[in-house]
Amino acid sequence: MTVAQAVRAAPVRRPFPTRSRHAHATARPRSAGTTWEVRTFVIVSTAICAVFLLVVLYLVQATTVATRGYDAQRLESVRDELRRQNALLEVESARLDSPARIEVEARRLGLVRAAAVLVVQLEPIAAKR
Amino acid sequence: MTEGISTTRLRVLFALFAIATLLLSLRVGYWQTIGRSALLEGATDQLRSEVVTLAQRGVIRDRTGAILATTVDLRSLYAIPKRIPDHAAAAAKLAPVLATPAATIRAALDSGAEWLYLKRRLPEPVAKAVEALAIPGLGFEPEPKRLYPNEALAAHLLGFVNDDGIGQYGVEGAYDKILRGVPGRLVVERDPKDRELALGLRTAVPPKNGADLVLTIDLVVQTAIERELRRAVEREKLTSGSIVVVDPRDGAVLGLASWPTFDPARVAVADPEALRDRAVSWAFEPGSTMKAVTIAAGIDQHVVTPTTTYEDKGYAVIGGRRLNNAQGKVYGTTTVTQILERSANAGAVFVASRLGQDPLYQYLRAFGFGDATGVDLAAEASGAVRPLAQWYPVDVGTIAFGQGIAVTPLQVAMAYAAIANGGTLYRPRVVAATRDADGEHRTAPVAVRSPITPDTADTLRTMLVSTVDRGIAHGASLAGYSVAGKTGTAQIPSGDGRYVDDAYISSFAGFVPANDPRFVVVIVLERPQTKLLGTVTAMDTFHDLALDMLRNARLQPDRP
Repeated sequence: MTVAQAVRAAPVRRPFPTRSRHAHATARPRSAGTTWEVRTFVIVSTAICAVFLLVVLYLVQATTVATRGYDAQRLESVRDELRRQNALLEVESARLDSPARIEVEARRLGLVRAAAVLVVQLEPIAAKR
Repeated sequence: MTEGISTTRLRVLFALFAIATLLLSLRVGYWQTIGRSALLEGATDQLRSEVVTLAQRGVIRDRTGAILATTVDLRSLYAIPKRIPDHAAAAAKLAPVLATPAATIRAALDSGAEWLYLKRRLPEPVAKAVEALAIPGLGFEPEPKRLYPNEALAAHLLGFVNDDGIGQYGVEGAYDKILRGVPGRLVVERDPKDRELALGLRTAVPPKNGADLVLTIDLVVQTAIERELRRAVEREKLTSGSIVVVDPRDGAVLGLASWPTFDPARVAVADPEALRDRAVSWAFEPGSTMKAVTIAAGIDQHVVTPTTTYEDKGYAVIGGRRLNNAQGKVYGTTTVTQILERSANAGAVFVASRLGQDPLYQYLRAFGFGDATGVDLAAEASGAVRPLAQWYPVDVGTIAFGQGIAVTPLQVAMAYAAIANGGTLYRPRVVAATRDADGEHRTAPVAVRSPITPDTADTLRTMLVSTVDRGIAHGASLAGYSVAGKTGTAQIPSGDGRYVDDAYISSFAGFVPANDPRFVVVIVLERPQTKLLGTVTAMDTFHDLALDMLRNARLQPDRP
């Protein structure tokens, strides 16, 4: 029996046992039948709820994964863009550090190459100490 | 109600339904079985995309780690004309930013193309300026671009990368496979907005990025070389020139430049002749710089010593031909050391005559002339040393002072490096190390052979120092440092087997500090306007360059 059948069939199949001549001797108490009905109803309802919850859970999980996936993609492109910007900055830094550019800039500022370089001999100084 | 419908009609209706159901079932069955793959393929095509993921091209650095060449994704501007509401207005806005006439942009937008590039690989500030215009129907696509932060510096050494991403010339050409890496593959499922599906299929073979190269080149030395070469070109109105600097201790090339040169970022407009790296691919007659090799061979074979003398009459006769000293000078009694100091052609012929053809030839080959040096650069020339069987008797005399032989500037540098380092000929190298995912792999120096003994090398070094201190190469002397070197002036062969009138190649080859050589420098200048005085410019160039390199290397003076 399917869950749906169980739900729909419940009122029809309510256990009203035919009273026999010996009903007084064999009849189950009414409260027992009611309990069975309630139990069945609870089980079926719980099952339906559980299935529903599972479906909802799955949908929530799938949606979350999809959303996170899109977030991850967005973050990946942010990372790629930052890497690209970093590479561009490295190139710019290398361009600014270029000795040829520094030479031109130094000349523009009026600096000239040292005519002579004075070399200080450290050994004699150290010996005097 | 059914009483009004005849049984026949009902049967027909039923039959029609049955047939329709059957046909539909068959069709559904067909698509589920035979036609399934076609359906799947169509659906997959819409959903799935397969892209080649490019490998990042390796970075090229100098020995100190400064970037010489790197690849960065620049943004290319594309347009979807149908989505641009007003072509004329868009073109007018874009024109000043792209530095392109509005009419050209308008024509592109009106060309009828559904999608087109307006400008590729924009500099970042330009891309940002276009972005700020917020014109609908325009978009950006990243495209890799090889950038050279030092612009045209070391252009011949580095080479360039063409539009297909293939390295050409120089290091880019010689190490293309290593630099390029291996592209990867990515298969993903995408939604209608072209976003990757989070739960979709994703298979990827990651790209293997190219290895980085660390060169033996020193950016400061290279800058100094190019500056001095440019000065010499301007001063002497040279047609071409070349400077090579190597470390004699291991054959590492510290710098290398040629003129004319080009900008690697604008190769399309470069003169094809400018692409030629003359330092490695230009064979020229070296002239008197070759006398050092001849005398090294003579001393190594013990046929002469530095003090051996001969009587200089201003010329020598060999093979029935008279070979004169430069400007017909007569020196009288001359020692072998003075042959170098005075650059006496007759003296070189004297040494070569004592040595003989075969040993001279063997020494030339042992010093690496006539063979490519094996430097790790593209398009190296081997020069020309004719086989001994093709020598005329006079050749032993002319080759002794550098005529009738063709060499490259790099070959001369390596021969002088062998004299400087005690007699070991190294294979020149430009790449010091490669860096990939497995770490750094350093390239070891390769000693090819020892053409002369350490004693001979030491003797030659002293003689070359004397040539600078007291001889013809005095212009190359430096205060505080010992310098060894020799000048060279050679005529230029013409197509008809003679020499071009009044045109010369001036050169200087030397090393510094001579007592503990760190830099071997070869300077070659083609057709200086001062003719025979071109060697003065070559020596001046050496002087300024050596001073700069010594300062930069913080080398203590080795002389008071």
